[in-house]
Amino acid sequence: MSISRRKFLGWLGAAGFGSALGNTARAASNKHFDGYPNSNGVLFDNTRCIGCRKCEEGCNRVNELPEPERPFSDLSLLDAKRRTTAKAYTVVNRYDDIVSEKGPLYTKFQCNHCLEPACASACFVRAFTKTETGAVVYDASVCVGCRYCMIACPFEIPTYEYDKAFTPRVMKCTMCYPRVVKGLLPGCVEACPTEALTFGKRQDLLKIGRERIAKFPERYEDYIYGENEMGGTSWLYLSGEPFKDVGMREDLGVTPAPKLTAGALSVVPMVVGLWPVLLTGIYAINKRKGKIEKQEKEQAVVAALEKAQNEAEAKLSEAMEKAEKEKAAAIETAVSKALEEAAKASEEDAGDTAVEDADKKSSEEDS
Amino acid sequence: MGKGRALLRWNAIFVAVVVILFLMNSPAVFGNETQPKKALEMRADIIQIDSMNVFGKLEKPAVTFLHQKHTDALEKKGKDCAACHLSEKDPTLDIERMSTMYMRLKNTSKQEDMDIYHDNCISCHKETKAAKEPSGPLECGGCHQEQVTVISSWRPIGMDKSLHYRHSKAQDDKCEKCHHEYNESTKKLFYAKGKEGTCRYCHAEKTEENRISMRLASHIACIDCHRRTIAKNESAGPFNCNGCHEPAEQKLIETVKDVPRMKLNQPDFVFVKTSASNPKKSNPATRMKLVPFNHQAHEKYNDSCRVCHHAALDDCVKCHSLEGSKEGDNVTLQQSMHRLNVNQSCMGCHEAELNKQTCAGCHTSFEKKRQQGTTSCENCHMVPPSRITHEVQPAEQKMMAAATLEAREAVTVTYDDQEIPEIVTIKALMNQYEPVKLPHRKIIKTLFNNIKDNKLANYFHHEKGTICQGCHHNSPAAKKPPNCVSCHGRPFNAKDPFKPGLMAAYHRQCMECHKAMDIKKPVSTNCTACHAKKT
Repeated sequence: MSISRRKFLGWLGAAGFGSALGNTARAASNKHFDGYPNSNGVLFDNTRCIGCRKCEEGCNRVNELPEPERPFSDLSLLDAKRRTTAKAYTVVNRYDDIVSEKGPLYTKFQCNHCLEPACASACFVRAFTKTETGAVVYDASVCVGCRYCMIACPFEIPTYEYDKAFTPRVMKCTMCYPRVVKGLLPGCVEACPTEALTFGKRQDLLKIGRERIAKFPERYEDYIYGENEMGGTSWLYLSGEPFKDVGMREDLGVTPAPKLTAGALSVVPMVVGLWPVLLTGIYAINKRKGKIEKQEKEQAVVAALEKAQNEAEAKLSEAMEKAEKEKAAAIETAVSKALEEAAKASEEDAGDTAVEDADKKSSEEDS
Repeated sequence: MGKGRALLRWNAIFVAVVVILFLMNSPAVFGNETQPKKALEMRADIIQIDSMNVFGKLEKPAVTFLHQKHTDALEKKGKDCAACHLSEKDPTLDIERMSTMYMRLKNTSKQEDMDIYHDNCISCHKETKAAKEPSGPLECGGCHQEQVTVISSWRPIGMDKSLHYRHSKAQDDKCEKCHHEYNESTKKLFYAKGKEGTCRYCHAEKTEENRISMRLASHIACIDCHRRTIAKNESAGPFNCNGCHEPAEQKLIETVKDVPRMKLNQPDFVFVKTSASNPKKSNPATRMKLVPFNHQAHEKYNDSCRVCHHAALDDCVKCHSLEGSKEGDNVTLQQSMHRLNVNQSCMGCHEAELNKQTCAGCHTSFEKKRQQGTTSCENCHMVPPSRITHEVQPAEQKMMAAATLEAREAVTVTYDDQEIPEIVTIKALMNQYEPVKLPHRKIIKTLFNNIKDNKLANYFHHEKGTICQGCHHNSPAAKKPPNCVSCHGRPFNAKDPFKPGLMAAYHRQCMECHKAMDIKKPVSTNCTACHAKKT
């Protein structure tokens, strides 16, 4: 049996359309979410950051991460662009190739704690939870180590303990969830000497950000990064230069990551449940149709053959009949003609010669 | 089958040839050095010949013409501007003037103009080539190039005070040599004494009816005069592109330090006029105090009259009336004096002065806005209006303006040394470091010495506590202003979200001031430079 490409696509379309119709269900972790009303956030203002790495040190201390190879006071590390690692939830990078009177600018990288986290939506064991404090936290006890979260994160933040053979974990900033629920500040915020990091309710931070831009329009880009990026993040940013120049992605759009996949993923249960039935059915129907077709074809061939044979026989006999008729007619005409001539001759000459001629002619005809 | 094999063979040969050709261009294989991307040559004489666009869309890329390259080449051949530019009688002045157009006096038709360029350019290039001299291109693509290897270093040039003085001196103060007015009826230029103004008042960016653009006017008039003067073997300004527009050569233009004042009946001292015609129209009860203005001093601070008198050499109030008028683009007199972010207004210009290193330390952290407060208004608004009766100010009133300004206390003052704590010990962060010893008096002395010779600053720091307000902000000027800790405490107070905590208040106050004043030491990231290690 064979299915044409067009047909196959047609079925696929029908199946897709069917599942889209009247189906608003989404996969469990992809429920639409507008953010917890009183969730916390941190506002990073790079015009205040002096690049002292105190935040990295504070983070390391409160999270009891392993001591780094080079001390936090070693600022030469800023000469290279770094990424978060399993041993450093946050890193500060320096951007001094910007032609600016404002001097070098710094960007602090850590988990942005998205309002609708991509990591959580990618995780099929629900190891990630967006908590009411705003923090996106990770539960190592359920993690199977697939690292889909690392691929899903648009900010490339989660990291993996590759050096642990038996209990590797995904590592990322927790916005100091355990500290915040106790009423303490996140380690980095507490350590920052200039309040380049401001901790507060996300709603208030947006107000503070707008206020700073309004008061010092020449100092800031008129934009709060994270207000809408990927549907909004708990970590917000103010910058003195365009965000793309301080190592931040400007191509992310405003759609939360789960929304991008929710439509397709909501079809998964249906695809798993219904498609085998549907496709098997279509296959069976198609197969039966082929079988019937084959039978009919065979019958038709037999019938056609019989018909052709009969026709041929009929034609042959007809032709033979015709030939015989013609022969008889020819004999008759020849005989009558001879008789006439003979009669004529007997009338004119003598009766004997006429009869002889007639015999001669008829014998010629016979040969 | 045999056919297929032949096809395959040919295919293989073709691929091999392509690969070889490709490799031949590749420096990696054949060791050719990669040609470094040619750096664009900086030139001040680039002219885009796109004059054909008046006849519609260009058929070929515009020609990037290097003017000085041609004038230099012609000079060597003993030819001058007339080799390419025609002259005609200027009807407005009845003298012969050279057109800035190439080999024609005006645009006629597309074909004709095109022919003028093609015939003349190419024939000259051909002749030069025939004479075995370096010459220009002969083929289309040689001139009509999409990709150019030059980049403009062109800089505008303006008639500043020094240049103007040198010109008027060379012309024996004959202003009519350059300044003119246009008579609509006779269509002639004439000189109106006392009405001289900046060229740009009339000659705008683009040529308008009856008045040519600034670009055209300056090239016709300046170059014409320079050329004629040099022809008489007298010294004159440049008449090539670079002489005026090349940044390096601009610096060679002689500047006169102490330029005598221009003479145009401008006042020395004056009350800023608030009403052009009808002084009784405004309500005397709500009238602001009048502003005596030192016109003479402001002439010195600026490079040309145009900085303030941006549209005409008239009283500000002529266009910027109290209520705003069409002539003044509905900018009222009040706005025209107080607007920030513009150069022409008093406050806009004064505000820009705050970016100076000596001022920025304190002022960088202040929001840029009009500081409302009687004392700051009265720095300028000094004289009650009742004392001035006439808008046309007689000499004695001007003298009064002068006297008021003279009497104004223009000295930066602060408290005596013994009244200022010498060292302030900051005991925050004692869990990590020893207390910080802030050289409190030294800081105030430095700030004071930085501005004590700045006349503008002196007008605004005549209260003893004003300098203190640089750090002790949001507090009235006082001998004992509140400490930092009076207001700043724990950070991130949701009820007072805009106020930094104590640690950030200290650090930002110190660091941002040091950064704005370009103080290199102590480095912000060196904790122990201020906080001594705990022993």
